[in-house]
Amino acid sequence: MTKKSQGANEDQVKEPKRKIVPLKSQKEAKEVKSSKKEEDLLLDSGTDSDYDGCSLSGSLNSDDFDSEDDFDSHRETQDDSGHEGSDEVIDSENGEEEDGSDDEGSEQREVAEESDSSEDEVAPRNTVGDVPLEWYKDEKHIGYDITGKKITKKEKQDKLDSFLATMDDSKNWRKVYDEYNDEEVELTKEESKLIRRMLKGEAPHADFDPYAPYVDWFKWDDAIHPLSSAPEPKRRFIPSKWEAKKVVKLVRAIRKGLIKFDKPEEEPNVYLLWGDDSASDQKSKHLTYIPPPKLKLPGHEESYNPSLEYIPSEEEKASYELMYEEDRPKFIPKRFTSLRSIPAYENALKESFDRCLDLYLCPRVRKKRINIDPESLKPKLPSRKDLRPYPNSCYLEYKGHTGPVTSISTECSGQWIASGSTDGSVRIWEVETGRCLKVWQFDEAVKCVAWNPLPDFPILAVAMGVDLFFLNTELGTDEEQQRIEELLRLDNLPELDEAAAAIAKWLPDEKYRGIKIRHFKNLSYIDWHPRGDYLSAVMPGGETRGVVIHQLSAHSTKRLPIKMRGLPVCTLFHPNHRGLFIIATKKYVRVYNLHKNGEPIKKLETGLREISSMAIHPGGDNLVVGSKEGKMCWFDMDLSSKPYKILKNHPKDITNVGFHRSYPLFASCSEDSTAYVFHGKVYSDLNENPLIVPLEILRGHSSKGGVLDCKFHPRQPWLFTAGGDSVIKLYCH
Amino acid sequence: LEAIMDGGGEDASKVIHVKFVTKLDSPFQAPSSSVVIPSNVTRLGLSSIVNSLLTLEKHEAFDFLIDGELIRMSLEQFLLAKGISAERTLEIEYIRAVAPRKEEKPSLHDDWVSAVDGSSSRFILTGCYDGLGRIWSSPESCTHILEGHSGAISSIAFVSSEGAENVTVATAAKDRTLRLFKVDTAESGDPTTRVGAYKILRGHKASVASVAAQKYGSKICSGSWDCTINLWDTDEATSELSVAGKRRKGNNQAEETQLEGEAENTFVGHTQCVSSVVWPEHDVIYSCSWDHSIRRWDVPTGKESMNLFCGKALNTVDVGGEGSALVAAGGSDPILRVWDPRKPGTSAPVFQFASHASWISACKWHKSSWFHLVSASYDGKIMLCDLRTAWPLSVIDTHKDKVLCADWWKGDSVVSGGADSNLRISSGISIS
Repeated sequence: MTKKSQGANEDQVKEPKRKIVPLKSQKEAKEVKSSKKEEDLLLDSGTDSDYDGCSLSGSLNSDDFDSEDDFDSHRETQDDSGHEGSDEVIDSENGEEEDGSDDEGSEQREVAEESDSSEDEVAPRNTVGDVPLEWYKDEKHIGYDITGKKITKKEKQDKLDSFLATMDDSKNWRKVYDEYNDEEVELTKEESKLIRRMLKGEAPHADFDPYAPYVDWFKWDDAIHPLSSAPEPKRRFIPSKWEAKKVVKLVRAIRKGLIKFDKPEEEPNVYLLWGDDSASDQKSKHLTYIPPPKLKLPGHEESYNPSLEYIPSEEEKASYELMYEEDRPKFIPKRFTSLRSIPAYENALKESFDRCLDLYLCPRVRKKRINIDPESLKPKLPSRKDLRPYPNSCYLEYKGHTGPVTSISTECSGQWIASGSTDGSVRIWEVETGRCLKVWQFDEAVKCVAWNPLPDFPILAVAMGVDLFFLNTELGTDEEQQRIEELLRLDNLPELDEAAAAIAKWLPDEKYRGIKIRHFKNLSYIDWHPRGDYLSAVMPGGETRGVVIHQLSAHSTKRLPIKMRGLPVCTLFHPNHRGLFIIATKKYVRVYNLHKNGEPIKKLETGLREISSMAIHPGGDNLVVGSKEGKMCWFDMDLSSKPYKILKNHPKDITNVGFHRSYPLFASCSEDSTAYVFHGKVYSDLNENPLIVPLEILRGHSSKGGVLDCKFHPRQPWLFTAGGDSVIKLYCH
Repeated sequence: LEAIMDGGGEDASKVIHVKFVTKLDSPFQAPSSSVVIPSNVTRLGLSSIVNSLLTLEKHEAFDFLIDGELIRMSLEQFLLAKGISAERTLEIEYIRAVAPRKEEKPSLHDDWVSAVDGSSSRFILTGCYDGLGRIWSSPESCTHILEGHSGAISSIAFVSSEGAENVTVATAAKDRTLRLFKVDTAESGDPTTRVGAYKILRGHKASVASVAAQKYGSKICSGSWDCTINLWDTDEATSELSVAGKRRKGNNQAEETQLEGEAENTFVGHTQCVSSVVWPEHDVIYSCSWDHSIRRWDVPTGKESMNLFCGKALNTVDVGGEGSALVAAGGSDPILRVWDPRKPGTSAPVFQFASHASWISACKWHKSSWFHLVSASYDGKIMLCDLRTAWPLSVIDTHKDKVLCADWWKGDSVVSGGADSNLRISSGISIS
């Protein structure tokens, strides 16, 4: 058996259609049969004119078939394995089968060897060859034998006789009329069995095993030597010209739109009836589509027979009655034993009407809501961690004053601080330990203390009432001490001009061996020049004569060559530009050049109600002004006369502001008993604006009296705060 | 023991086999057999277990070490935290708990006690804000008063402590001078002897903050607010200047001439106040400053050989610990930091103790132990720290105000002085 034949058989076995094949062939057979019957009725001759049995060895004889036989009955008889009927069908099938498939026929020829051999034994007598038999229809002979003699047709039997003969002959069902040779052939038993097997769809030969194990005879591994020694042809290596042409043709067709690719499958147009409308397609169709409001979905409580827990008790029902109609629940669950007993819904009409009203009367206006993350509105500031060090926690307290501490001042080395209080005492403290080293007691409340900025000149200036004192702290070395003592001796006072004498009078202070300068009005603020020789004093009540400058080395007082406008609050000497003098009045900050006879240079408009304090950046170009309304203004004096930044942080008056000498820090303290520490970095690049970052709120002082003064340690990132609770605190980093 | 076992019996499933070992001597030697204990016991439980094993007459507190770390939580938590298996028999070493067992009576001063030195086993030196230095042979018995300073004494040190009868003492004061005193310890007169300085060392331009003496030499160094460290010689012979000594009341050495000395060498480098100096080796000085740095100086060359940056203003520094190489320093924040300068490439502290609540005013290594430190803080507390645990071993809370100075004395006591004008001595600290 060849591989091919087996494959074909397997195919037949596999194919489900195979079952239908006999049916179809039977149908065809039936058609053939019926046509033949008609022919038979017309012509009694055995030859079929329509039939083109080119490869048929034997043609069908209509006599074999029972005219009354129906297709269905054939089937039945076949199923019942009734002999007669089934055999007739087999006959017809045989013919059809051989007709339908030439291939199979050839196979069968090989397989059914017996039948072939029988054919070989009986060589065809007729030698007309493969010609239509109708040519001999009207002749007396059917053809010629091998010797060339005519073979005469057999005597045509009478129809009745033949019928009787068939009825008599029990083997008649096996007989097939051979038109070609004009003879009846009786099928052998083997042949009939073969036909029966083929009808069942089995292999014709009984010995054939369709499920024999597959033996792969082919050697799949490549042979070492090529089958041919011919060189590889060139066409194997060049791209195919014809394929290229075909591709170009296809490409052109695609470009012209002649070839259309499969469209993506359209999704079924279904949507969630109760789903959220916002995502529906309708949104895209309309410009501003507003989905209608949805009804609430029914829940368990709206069932006709809800669980008992949904049913309100009598008390609850009574309580509903007491409620306002609007607050009352819209639906009160009830229980019915069966669906039948549910009454009609009394509100059905009203509710659907309301619903319609809702749908067409509801205001369809899109509410414009801006979703902005509040975090994104905050300015991007560097993290506090990166701006370390800055003061954040209080470790040391300086206790000893009995009244609110109004003013503090740090010595330039940072070893001591001085403080003045309303109890009339001025104290010097050791920063390191919090020990009070020295106390001066006066009769009046101390307004302001200021340490001389020179390191080798430890003199303290103290303002109280109308008096200004220069006190010797006795902290310097012996030589320094000598110099200071000389300086503080008022031996030969220079003659002051009358105007200056009317303002201030230099007197020796007996009690503490210092100098006392008596002014004509109460002092509020004093400030040393960075060189430590001049000191400005502010008398708010002095109006146009409200600011004077004392020179310690000359023991003299000078009036400012400036026409004052407004009440002076505080003054500053510019840290770098020696001649510049800054005066803050209640609303404005003005800069004058004292070297040029008090020429006004700048006027800063703060926009504040009342300035309380002022501090200048050690660089000299930036100024911070604190006000009594709790606002703080940062001025970049090169940039503008308007504030660069206004910081509103304190709910109460700002009492003082201050810059650190070396760290980029500034602070403000307020009567709300807090102090704020800021990072204030000024860049040397003039194009870059100062960076201001709030760092820390320093609390700790008791709420009574607030924080009255704050000063940075000159060398460490520490802040001293003087409180109304008579304590000075040191906040360290 | 059974009581403890019963107490932990609720969680009977969690038990640990332990074996107690120790390096202590015979009365504290526990049997070396392994014991089953519940896993949730803390140091206290372990201590009572060991006490019951030892059957001592007096209850003794113990501390427990596993793999060189002190147990400061329940055993179970400790094992979990350290990833130690509880399956095997655990070896727990016990030592006597480091805590003062006795509090001596306070020695009252006239003013704040700003400096204390306990490096001599015979005496305690104290410096006071009234400008006087005092020598105490025992609590409440002041034998000598060192006078002469016009400002508060900020630091005091033995120059030659374990010598013969004569002891040399150096004091640094806020009057910008240092003074050297010779004290004859033999004459411990009952009215306290007042001693005047034999040599005054002038040269600093601002308050002197700290003084330290060379161990086996005649030199001292001092750190000052003028940002310099000065080196001085204590010898009488080498002084160039001598002025006639002033007459002092009640001073029987009044006729002696007073010498004045000048600085032999000045180390410049710090940019702010040098708050503390220590002289642990012959040629090496460590100093710490408010400019946030700790520096090591080579004495012969006067060059800076190391610079540790801390970030905080520092008040105190000490060198000790393992190989006498660890640097401990505290300052303007409540964290005591310990650096290992031998560690290359990093300047991060290797240990941090953050139990204090305010500035740290003093820290001292124990002279013989590698692990123990005493630290004093402005929060009024003195803490005994151990490098093997982050928690303090014990807190001495006897001072009523800021503690300004503290030191070890005789290896088993802590002496401290503070703003309550008292010298306190906590003794009976067993450090093995």
